[in-house]
Amino acid sequence: MKLSNKKVIYLICSLLTMVLILSGCWDNKDINHRLLPVSIGVKKVDDQYLVILNIPVPIDGSMETKIVSAKAETVSKAVDTISRNMESDVDLLHVKLIFIEKETAEDGINDIIAGLMRSRDVSPKALVAICDEDLQEFFNNIKINAEKKGLSTYNYFEKNAGWNPDIALTRVWEVFRGIHSYTHDVAIPLIRSGKDTTMDQIGSAILKRGKMVEQISSNETLLYNVFKGESGNGKMEVMEHATVMLLGSKTDNIGRLVNNDAHMESLIKMRVVILETKGEPSLNLIKEEINTLISERYNKLFTKLQENEADVFGMGQFFRNQIPRDELKNWRSDYFKNMKININVKIDIQNEGYLKTT
Amino acid sequence: MVRSLHVMIMYVLCHLGLIFFMFPADIIASTEQGHWFPILIGIIVHFVCLLTYMKGLRFFPKKDILSIFSKSKKRVTFLFFAPVLLYLIMAIIITVRAYAEIVTLVFLSHTPLWTIILLLLSVSAYISSKGIEAILRTAFLLFILFFPILLFVLIMSFQNVDWRYAIPFDTDLGFISKPAYFESYFAFADGFLFLGFVQPFFSYERKYVILSAIFLIPFFLFSVYIPILTLGQATASKAFLPFVLIVDSINIDWLMFDRVTMFFLLSLIAFIILYLSLLMWKAIRIINYYIPKSRPSYLLFGLSVAIFFVCFWIPDRKDVENILFMNSFLRSYVIIVVPLSIYYIGRRLKRKDTNETI
Repeated sequence: MKLSNKKVIYLICSLLTMVLILSGCWDNKDINHRLLPVSIGVKKVDDQYLVILNIPVPIDGSMETKIVSAKAETVSKAVDTISRNMESDVDLLHVKLIFIEKETAEDGINDIIAGLMRSRDVSPKALVAICDEDLQEFFNNIKINAEKKGLSTYNYFEKNAGWNPDIALTRVWEVFRGIHSYTHDVAIPLIRSGKDTTMDQIGSAILKRGKMVEQISSNETLLYNVFKGESGNGKMEVMEHATVMLLGSKTDNIGRLVNNDAHMESLIKMRVVILETKGEPSLNLIKEEINTLISERYNKLFTKLQENEADVFGMGQFFRNQIPRDELKNWRSDYFKNMKININVKIDIQNEGYLKTT
Repeated sequence: MVRSLHVMIMYVLCHLGLIFFMFPADIIASTEQGHWFPILIGIIVHFVCLLTYMKGLRFFPKKDILSIFSKSKKRVTFLFFAPVLLYLIMAIIITVRAYAEIVTLVFLSHTPLWTIILLLLSVSAYISSKGIEAILRTAFLLFILFFPILLFVLIMSFQNVDWRYAIPFDTDLGFISKPAYFESYFAFADGFLFLGFVQPFFSYERKYVILSAIFLIPFFLFSVYIPILTLGQATASKAFLPFVLIVDSINIDWLMFDRVTMFFLLSLIAFIILYLSLLMWKAIRIINYYIPKSRPSYLLFGLSVAIFFVCFWIPDRKDVENILFMNSFLRSYVIIVVPLSIYYIGRRLKRKDTNETI
């Protein structure tokens, strides 16, 4: 095919404009002019937000951590202030962790979460954690630890790295759902900086409609994860006569409404492996021990939650077809508070190891 | 030339591009519970109109809807086609503007709006200048390239669903009076209009078009139900683009890409460009019918420039929504009056023919 001169000119012109508009490089910033923080800390100081960024900086093949902070009326303004003072542009695209100081969380984090959800750059799947010490100190400790051991904070929460089933994994969108949903609250890991490890997990914070109302222990967080269906894989349970390892779990729940009172039947099935025994307990004894241990813990946890009207298990979900939508709005205060819960635990001992139990 | 497969793919693609953005938010805004009902009504309306339209077109083999009227006076038919033309142009404006805004919102946050408008318009104008044959062939290519990605993301978006959010199923008719509900018809409205325009160029079997309309039903349902099942109605109604939010919160450990949203969005934008080129082609066909002496490519150029300025002139998103609502009246004309009148004319013609032979 032969092209006329006119056509060639047309073609070249259109190709050139294509290069201009299709490149997608509109006032872009190269990667070496961008700072990509992995975690943000937010703290409220008299009506202002103190925002701390943890930015890994590669220097000579190793990672160094840079901690920068700024104070402003809003979180994004503070990030902007940091960006202005730095030589590079701060880009929140790769933020994996959001730390919020405990006092701030007790005040309510609705605005922070709404801001994060609205903003175009923080991913809604970033994890949220609550920091049980002064945020500035916490970030400094992380920095020291990271420099000493080269640990990255994010691995702590990675399911294929350091995660344990007694750490609640809660993402920004889940917290957002917890604020607006009628029947769902969330538990958020409560973190401190550790002496030998980067972080110490001391339990979980219970958030009710975006406000921290209660604190639960790590053991109770495990129950939360088991109930949610995040398998409690690999967790040890120590009892009087034996130590077992949890392999997996499943829950069946039936919610019934009797005379406007909520009744919940939960059957928790757990598969365990016996690791150690003291003396010579029978299998039945071990089963019974686990059974009492787990149901006692659950009952204690539920009493705590009911007192605070915080439905972190999303129990209201099981009553959605029984309670009209107008009343579902008051699920937490009208129904959940007085809900009767009956927990049955069924233990399957999958394996006893190389030794027989008599 | 029989090109059923191409028509089928075109039909599927232009609907897919429209479904996942405004449709879920509109349906979620129009009712509190039982979202299946408004969706179902929409689908029924869609099928009734589609079947009437195709039945009407069957009376005129090898003719497009413009030449169906060729016997009657041009001035009279202009009254019939003017709203269609106006609708098409408005649809182009709304789509370009709304999708340009979605692109800036989701990933190109620093890019000025006009460049994206320019990109959308120029690429689609180019495709449509090459004629319907090129449009359908592009559709085939885009289908092979992007549909698997879309399907992958769609399957992955089930990651966080809680099926209990689907209940209660019972619903009320309150949505009928909501403007948002009429806006949701944007996803159904003119996807089938092109069937009347392609006839003289190539024919298709009706069976395949119906098959592709059936194929789309789960996409309509899931686009609304995946956000509902993940977030719940109360939270999902807060989101501007609920489905994109869900895609943003997909967490896949083994995938090397952090955000699958990009893939999802880019494939849908490709489909939208195709849809735009189809709209332009239809508009140009109508204009060209009434001004036969002008060159279609000049018309196309003029139209795109005009649309570019209109899009640029619209101040903000609220106005886009207003236009979308105003467009509802024209839309009901396009989906109800056009199929019915084609059917009516066809029936009359047939009766006349049979009378003459007797």
